[in-house]
Amino acid sequence: MNTVRAAILVLFAASCGPVALAQAIDYQRPVQTAPQQDTIGGGYKTPPVQKPLPRDAWLQLLDVTLLGLVTGGAVWLVLERRSRKALGWLSLGSLAYFGFYREGCICPIGSIQNVAVALTDPRYSIPMVATAVFFIPLVVALFFGRAFCGGVCAIGAIQDLVVLKPIQTPRRLDRVLGLLKYVYLGLAIVFAVRPALGRDFVICRFDPFVGFFRLSGAPHMLILGGAFLVVGMFVGRPYCRYLCPYGVLLNWCTRLARRGVTITPDKELDCGLCTGSCPFGAIDKMRAVRRECLYCARCYKACPVPVGRTPRSARVPLDPQVGARS
Amino acid sequence: MTLYRRAAWAAGLLVAACVVFLLADYLVAAARAPREAGLVKSLQEQVKADASLAPRLAAEQKRITEARIGRKLRDRWLAWALIVAAGAFLACAKRAITARQPLAPARGSVPSRDRQGAVSRPINEPPPLDLSFVDTAIALHGRGRESAIPLLQAMQTHYRYLPDEALRRICELTDVTPAQIAGTSSFYAQFRRSPVGKHVVRVCHGTACHVSGARQITEELRRYLAIPEGADTDPSRTFTVDEVACLGCCSLAPVLMVDGHTAGRLTPATARNALEPFEQRETA
Repeated sequence: MNTVRAAILVLFAASCGPVALAQAIDYQRPVQTAPQQDTIGGGYKTPPVQKPLPRDAWLQLLDVTLLGLVTGGAVWLVLERRSRKALGWLSLGSLAYFGFYREGCICPIGSIQNVAVALTDPRYSIPMVATAVFFIPLVVALFFGRAFCGGVCAIGAIQDLVVLKPIQTPRRLDRVLGLLKYVYLGLAIVFAVRPALGRDFVICRFDPFVGFFRLSGAPHMLILGGAFLVVGMFVGRPYCRYLCPYGVLLNWCTRLARRGVTITPDKELDCGLCTGSCPFGAIDKMRAVRRECLYCARCYKACPVPVGRTPRSARVPLDPQVGARS
Repeated sequence: MTLYRRAAWAAGLLVAACVVFLLADYLVAAARAPREAGLVKSLQEQVKADASLAPRLAAEQKRITEARIGRKLRDRWLAWALIVAAGAFLACAKRAITARQPLAPARGSVPSRDRQGAVSRPINEPPPLDLSFVDTAIALHGRGRESAIPLLQAMQTHYRYLPDEALRRICELTDVTPAQIAGTSSFYAQFRRSPVGKHVVRVCHGTACHVSGARQITEELRRYLAIPEGADTDPSRTFTVDEVACLGCCSLAPVLMVDGHTAGRLTPATARNALEPFEQRETA
């Protein structure tokens, strides 16, 4: 297990090589695709800025630092503090920053395409942010599981908010629909690594929620996003479970995780209260399925065993009523 | 709960209204766009022939641009309203779904019951005991030390507990000593020394029921029945709440039994519903 993890880390580091080389290509190189003032002639002056300017370097660094910190925070809140409430606030903050402020870009899900292009096209300049954002959650998943899904992902957070009355989907249906994300990942890579002019970033183009973050978008995508949210009220996080291509990679990495979500830290009671509390079908036969667990910590809240540093989170939710003695 | 439910409905309607308005706005604009483009195009053609039409073209273009900017601004505000309304809807709907029935006030405080029970004695006072049964039982079971258990069992069956007066009378009339009675009656679980209610509620405290909140249910029943600390029977002697080890139907946990009737999958809010039929029978 440890050797496999080490091998994967080496692989990550190795793939960072070409990506770092791509980084060395200067963004401010002369424009060749558009006609320039010499070719146009007639005293025409090209505008000084022909490409959108990148975000300030320190802001990019802030994004990456925040991503790392929030992922680490999610790990700490779930594995150590075992607090659903705190994690909820954290993911709400992520939704505000990575979702509404950063307008859903850059996100690790879309960065799959950037990395795929950088690995195949030597002329493509991948931003440092895209590389970091792609690898940080995967490395964390190698050790602690999908903390990114529960605490950082804005797409996940917006779906987590709308979970209202989740039904327990049949496992077989889960498994069949879950195959879609492998297809989606494959398609996304195939479209991304095509030659520059035919290149298409389908994950970003068909992101159902980015329209909400930007408060505008193609009407059909907005309607699709709305449909996802309405379905999401009754089926927990449908995009994450059935479509998210990054979830595939996180799923693979989490198989090697050293520590992950344990519903009760030392001894399972087998009372089954957690199974009913999981909206994502990630508890099978009363055990957490770590590679599918989205780090939402709902099962901690439902667990009657008082454990961890926050016994409050472990109380049976019936307690407040008994407390209201008249 | 109804408040949250109503708020959720209102917010949901607001969400629907926003969506409908945004869609309508989009559809109207999409329907108008080709006509406006055609108008501008034809004006541009005419301007090429007749320069005097130029201000009209400019005005037309200005009008179209302003309409578009206005729509964008309007839609942006609507989008924010939609987000806020959706947030309110979710918050209220979550509350409405998770809110349990409000707990009933403790039973003793219901005034209608006090009026119905127009009995002169205070409800805490047990009815005067008819001790003639003690003599009958002694005649039946004999006066020796060995008849202590049969006598106690007869008392338990007749009075449903062991009244102090009856025990005192047994000691007077037979060879059974108070020490023997105290020892025997406290040893066997079948004997009770305090009066029992008309119905016995057995709350299961087995493993499955314990983890699914049997303690909370017991607490709530005691609160609802206004059973004082240390006692197990409510002041009107209708219900006795007992904690028992296991009723054997763990799949229904948490579970309780009223006399012979089982009620399962309880919550503190629904536990008292299990008592309801017995209450009605009692008041009828």
